Amino acid sequence: MMSDTFMPSPPTHVPPELIVDFDFFQVPDGLSDPAEIWHQLVREGAPKIFYTPRNGGHWVFLDYLDIVEGYRDFQLFSTYQTPIPPIEPFPTMQPQGVDPPQHEVFRMLLAPMFTPVAIRQRTAEIERRSRRNIDSFADTGACDFIDDYATKLPTGMFLHLMGLPEERLPEFLDLSNVFFRSNDNQARAQNLEQIYRVLDVMFEDKKAQPRDDLATKILQARGHDGALLPYQQKLDCAFLLFVAGLDTVTNTMAYIWRYLATTPNARAAMRERLHDPDALMRAVEELFRINAVSNLYRRVTRDTAFKSVVMKRNDRVVLPNTVANRNPAVFMDPDVIDLDRQVNRHVTFGVGPHRCLGSHLAKREVLVSLQCWFERIPEFRLSDEGHRVHAFGGPVMGFRNLPLIWD
Amino acid sequence: MRVRVNLTQCQGHARCEDICPEVFSTDAIEGKAVIKVELVPAALVQKVQLAVRNCPEGALRLIKDKESQ
Repeated sequence: MMSDTFMPSPPTHVPPELIVDFDFFQVPDGLSDPAEIWHQLVREGAPKIFYTPRNGGHWVFLDYLDIVEGYRDFQLFSTYQTPIPPIEPFPTMQPQGVDPPQHEVFRMLLAPMFTPVAIRQRTAEIERRSRRNIDSFADTGACDFIDDYATKLPTGMFLHLMGLPEERLPEFLDLSNVFFRSNDNQARAQNLEQIYRVLDVMFEDKKAQPRDDLATKILQARGHDGALLPYQQKLDCAFLLFVAGLDTVTNTMAYIWRYLATTPNARAAMRERLHDPDALMRAVEELFRINAVSNLYRRVTRDTAFKSVVMKRNDRVVLPNTVANRNPAVFMDPDVIDLDRQVNRHVTFGVGPHRCLGSHLAKREVLVSLQCWFERIPEFRLSDEGHRVHAFGGPVMGFRNLPLIWD
Repeated sequence: MRVRVNLTQCQGHARCEDICPEVFSTDAIEGKAVIKVELVPAALVQKVQLAVRNCPEGALRLIKDKESQ
C-alpha cells in the first residue's frame, strides 16, 4: 500500500525488485475488510517473497508452501524475539517464543489442558457463559456484537481457566487492546510492564491460595529434573496465554458474525446444520479458513538464501495466514465461502511445532456460540451504523464495532 | 486398506478425529492422533481418505494392504 510518509531505505542485501512499500498496520478508510490489503498485494502480482521497509523492515511470504515452510523450519525461522516493529527486550513467550527442544518444557505442561479431550469437558462452561451473555441482550433486539459478546466470551473463558475473578474483564481487554493495536514503541513498552505486573500479582495470589486452575498449575510446574521452573518463565507462559487467547477469537467471531448478518443464505445454512455436528464442524472450519485474522512473525536465525532470496540473520518475516488460505493451488474456488468444503487444509492455526495450542478451545467457543446464538436469535442484520466500519490491521486484524439488530 | 500416522509430523490439529471419529481419536496428554482401527473397513475408506487429505501436517497415510506388509 502506497503512503506519503517517510520510508527508511532498505538494507543492502535486498534487491530492488523484491521491495514493496507495504504497511500491514495501515488499513485505508472505507475498507471494511482489513485482510483485503493482503489480497490486493496478491492480485497486483507482488513477488511471492518480498521485503517492505515499513515497521522496521521485514519480509513477507505469500505462497502457501513458503508460509508452511516458514512455520515448520524452526531452525531457520525462529519464534524467539520476533516483534514488529522491533522492540527490545521483548518477552520470551513460553512456549511460543522458544524453539524446540526447549519449547517442549512448557508445551508439554500446557498441552494436556488444551487437548480435544480436555476442551470437550469445558463445553458446558462455554455454553453457560454463551447463553448468559446472549440472554443479557436478546430481548432488547440490538447489541454491539464485539463489545457485548465477542470480547466477553473468550476473555471470560481466559479468566475462568486462570482462576481470576470475572470483574477484571475490562482491565484485561484494555491491556490486550494496546498490545495488539499499537505500533507506538513507548506505549508498547509501558503496556508490557503493566501486563507483567498484573500477572505477577496473579501468581502471588495463587501462591497464597493455590486452586485447581491453570495459573496454579503453571506456578507449581517442575522440569524433568523435578526442580521448580524459573519464575520468570512462568510469567512468560502466563503472558503467552493472555496474548494468544483474547484477541484472536474475538476478531474471528466479529468477522463471522458480520458475514452472517449480511448473508441471508449463510444464516439459513447455519440454522440447517445446528444439530448436525459433522456439518457444523465443516462450516466452522470454513469460517476459520476464510476469516484467518492472524499474521504471524518469525526471525531468520542465520544468513541464508531461502528459495534463492538472500536473507540476513535477524531479518523479520511475516506469514499471512489469510493469503495461504486462499491459494488456488491448494483450495478449490478459494474465494468462495463453501460451508460444506470437503478438503480444507487451512493454516489458520499455523502448522509445525508451534501449532496454536488453543485451537480446540477457539473452535469450541465459535461452535458453541453459533449454536446458542441461532437458538435464540435466528435472524439478525447489521444496523445502519454497522456499515461504517473502523478496520485495523497488524498482527491480528479486525474492526472496532459490529452493531447488530433483530426483530 | 490400512491407515498410519507419523507422530513426529502430527501436531494435534485433530482434524482426523473430527472427520472420522470411527477410526481416529486423540490422546489426552499431547492431543496427537490415535488410530483406533488400523485396518479400515470398506465403508469408511472414503471418510478416512478425506481425513488424510485434510491433515494440515500431511501426517496420515492410507496404504494398500500389500504395501504395508
